[in-house]
Amino acid sequence: MVLGLWLAVAAVSLFWTPWSLWWTDGYHVWQKPSPSHILGTDGTGADVLSWLMAGSRTNLLICVLTVLVTAVFGLLLLAAMLARTALFAQASVVVIDALISLPTVLIALILAVPFGPSVAVIVAACGFGYGLNLARIARPQAMLVARSGYVESALSNGASAASVFSRHVIPNIMPIMMVQLSISAGTVVLAESGLTYLGIGVQSGVPSWGHSLATSVTFINVYPITVVWPGLIITCVVLALNVFGDALRDCADPLSNPELRAVRGRVEASKGSEAEYV
Amino acid sequence: MRFLLRRLALLLAALFGMSVLIFLALRILPGDVASVMAGLNATPARVARLRQELGLNRSYLQQYFEWAGNVVHGNLGISVLTGRDVGVQIVSRMQITFPLILIGLLIACLIGIPLGAASIVARSARVRQSLHLLALTGGAIPALWGAMLLILLFSKGSGLIALFPSQGFPDAGWAQAGSALASLMLPAVTVGIIVGSSIMRYTRSALQEMLSSEFVDMGMACGMTRVQAVLRIGLRVVSPQLVSVIGLTFAEMITGVMVIENLFALPGIGSMLVTDVGNRDLLTVQSELFVLAAFFLCIGFVVDVLHRVLDPRLKGAGLLATAGGAQ
Repeated sequence: MVLGLWLAVAAVSLFWTPWSLWWTDGYHVWQKPSPSHILGTDGTGADVLSWLMAGSRTNLLICVLTVLVTAVFGLLLLAAMLARTALFAQASVVVIDALISLPTVLIALILAVPFGPSVAVIVAACGFGYGLNLARIARPQAMLVARSGYVESALSNGASAASVFSRHVIPNIMPIMMVQLSISAGTVVLAESGLTYLGIGVQSGVPSWGHSLATSVTFINVYPITVVWPGLIITCVVLALNVFGDALRDCADPLSNPELRAVRGRVEASKGSEAEYV
Repeated sequence: MRFLLRRLALLLAALFGMSVLIFLALRILPGDVASVMAGLNATPARVARLRQELGLNRSYLQQYFEWAGNVVHGNLGISVLTGRDVGVQIVSRMQITFPLILIGLLIACLIGIPLGAASIVARSARVRQSLHLLALTGGAIPALWGAMLLILLFSKGSGLIALFPSQGFPDAGWAQAGSALASLMLPAVTVGIIVGSSIMRYTRSALQEMLSSEFVDMGMACGMTRVQAVLRIGLRVVSPQLVSVIGLTFAEMITGVMVIENLFALPGIGSMLVTDVGNRDLLTVQSELFVLAAFFLCIGFVVDVLHRVLDPRLKGAGLLATAGGAQ
């Protein structure tokens, strides 16, 4: 429900916000919530609610793009790890293990040096990091599929490796992937707020929740209540995405198969360690 | 022993690869190092002189080997902008970041493990569910916001209940242990809550796995109650995994606390990196990034070895088996 609301608000904000984003009023700064400005105004007299509504579409964009990058990158890595050439497959496993210990903040920092802060930096850094995670987590399941009888028979009937990957491997790892992607979508919202605060996320002037949070934090001593709204929204959305991921796993749990028990332990294990502190 | 040697070789290879990657990342990507460092309004002559001074006009290979050689000898270079030794800088920053992380992790474990276990063994389903929801909520709070709320509640100055300072670190450092500790309290609690909820979720799912395992069945067959069996046997069986996760979390927190260090104006590792990136002090950033990356890789190594030692079942498993299990 929260997610649906999010989509709706993002769509509405494309056409209409209660006040123009750039409409500022030097005489009415830091106004308390009132009927005309439902959540009050900020330090330049701009309407807080309008900025948050506009922010929802930036965050939605970041979320969708990151999920796409994560999925594509993760699947590519997975394909590399299942490669027929043993040396190549092993090498990619080792490389992924080495890279996975790099926090996304660090990757974002490296990228922000030459490119400057932008939405693209967030998407690239998070997509890269979460893609690694996805590949790592889906690997045991994918390996089981790759060694299975039906893959063997498909191969012996002359199916190409690419078609086996898309016809057999991908559908089989779909549940794990969906759960992981919904968690990634939540994590990137958190990451956005942290990175933007550090000045390596969304550029200033672009509305986003992280931006609203970061600007209100600067003025905490002046008018503390503005801090509450963006944080509350982020928490609700991320919580909704996490619960969604949970529900998704519960209804699409193919791992009740006892053979796959060990895999499940591992999936949960890696889920637990994926926290974002930024 | 054989495992140790192979894992060590992997560590060295990863360190080498990482150094090349960081070196190249700061050079191949658009924006020449010298012109970025000189700033937007620099004249071409100034850029050329800077390039000469920093030795950036030599071939990449020469530059890399000089830098790598220095790093191997423990010489991380001297910042061109501030004139300070990067190595000394990192060590002094660590004195703040490390205690912060340790206290945060301690709080996290104190919150996470008991509550995680409780969300499995609690008798009423409603309690179990609400504990799980609590863990999810904890993981959904942006660090920045959580810290803000704590400041509003507990800080001296703007808080409702003035308990702890919200800004800065005493100049005297750890000589004034009391006030140093007090200034770390709010940030550590913020970190503790966020990391704690992730440890809580992890404990929960690991123990859930245990619920239907033969270990718990065995304990119950020997006369323990279900709760006893889960807590006394289940927890012990999952402890190697818990240790791995906590170890990796520890490594991630070094940069994870960046936002919090900035917010509370603590001069730690994270705020150092952000400042240097902001100042475009690229050669310093290069060394700092490498030291941090090396640190993560080393922690990964220690965690893998530790996991191996703690979990005798892994004896005889291949190299890659632990690498996968540790995560």
